[in-house]
Amino acid sequence: MAGMKPEETKQVKGMTLRRDPAREACFKVVDSDAELEEWPGMTEISRRQRIHRHMNNETGAIEIAAQCLVDFPEAPWELRMHLARQCWDESRHVAGLYRRLREIGGYKGEFPISCFEWCVTCSLDTLAARLALQNRTFEAGELDLLGQLPAKWREAGDEKTAEVLESILGDEITHVRFANQWLRVLVREDRRLALKIAMAVRFLSAVTAALAPQDGQLSPVGLPYEEPQNRITQVNVADRKQADFTDSEIDEYLRQSGFQPIMTGNAEG
Amino acid sequence: MSLSVQERAEYVATFRFIQVFLMETLARWVPPTPEMEVKVLFGRHIWDLAQQADALGRRGYELRAPLQFSLRPAESYVEVLEEFARTNTTPQKIHGFYDVILPGLAARYRNYLERTDRLLDEPTVRVVEKILGEFNRMIGESEALRKELSQLRLTDKDWPAGLAKREASEANIVVRRSSAAVA
Repeated sequence: MAGMKPEETKQVKGMTLRRDPAREACFKVVDSDAELEEWPGMTEISRRQRIHRHMNNETGAIEIAAQCLVDFPEAPWELRMHLARQCWDESRHVAGLYRRLREIGGYKGEFPISCFEWCVTCSLDTLAARLALQNRTFEAGELDLLGQLPAKWREAGDEKTAEVLESILGDEITHVRFANQWLRVLVREDRRLALKIAMAVRFLSAVTAALAPQDGQLSPVGLPYEEPQNRITQVNVADRKQADFTDSEIDEYLRQSGFQPIMTGNAEG
Repeated sequence: MSLSVQERAEYVATFRFIQVFLMETLARWVPPTPEMEVKVLFGRHIWDLAQQADALGRRGYELRAPLQFSLRPAESYVEVLEEFARTNTTPQKIHGFYDVILPGLAARYRNYLERTDRLLDEPTVRVVEKILGEFNRMIGESEALRKELSQLRLTDKDWPAGLAKREASEANIVVRRSSAAVA
């Protein structure tokens, strides 16, 4: 993408991405989520790995919001205030997850990490495109995940982690909401941004396809990867509405996610 | 003589410039700083600095400046800030920001409180006093982190003194403008 100096980039499977942000030497940083350890079930190691991965994703979210403050000083002050607030929220998420990780016996660097969201989002040269990917796509996807995960942790007898995740969900709704609201304003003022956003979505699709595991490849923990259709998370319609997605946007997302049969009931609920 | 309304507006707009600059400095440091706990510390304080800038920007409007208006400080002070923003190592970032730059700015805020009419300019006084209290909390949080992580301690003990000397070298950082340039 335009605007990056060569020293700020890295090449991964033919794609030019923003180079990873700094991490401590204790971390092993990989290029894609497919290279991460993903332990099945809710065993002790799986629970530590899930929190460790989430902690790093939230660290990336601080970095992305902070970099937007640096790269777009001319953005409206109110929007910059939202980004600054997001830095604080994501910082509290990292601290809360790190506290929980240590409580259950985990530590920094126990598992490999990936900064995929940073590498893709910070390759984009407009604030609108970054908000569209980071807040409106990645964080909105987190709304769906966090809509389900607390129940899963409670089933495993871990009330404390469930509460951490519920607190994070409340904040993430706010981040998706301000992105939705500001994207409408920004695109209304400059229609060319709609093209930038469309290009960003295509860029994400291309990177995701390039970095996807090959047929028959085993994951780092020696298991076959789950088929994409089995990884689909139930769409969190209520919280997407809270985050100011319109009914038609939710309908479209449900359609794309293969939830068409339940679409009407949920979208109206 | 206490400060005139225009002088107050100039001070407030200059302070706002510095607050935004410091917010952007921490934001610039987050990705290239390796230590996760330090990213968290900076992330927390980006929001503090933004809110402080916002409060000053609203107060400036009450003093007949445009809403969220900033004035660039004296060039020698800006040079100190810009040079400091290029600091590379985490211990220097932490010690410089929390032991030198924030206390230096706090001294300038206290100087403002001494010079202004605390009754007629009470809305600014309250904003500034709140900021000073928040600076104390921010500095305290950085000290707690330094106690926890020994690798954040500075080996070159003379470095903060040199920075402090440069920071304090410009006593008056507000550049006087014509009233039209402020309004």
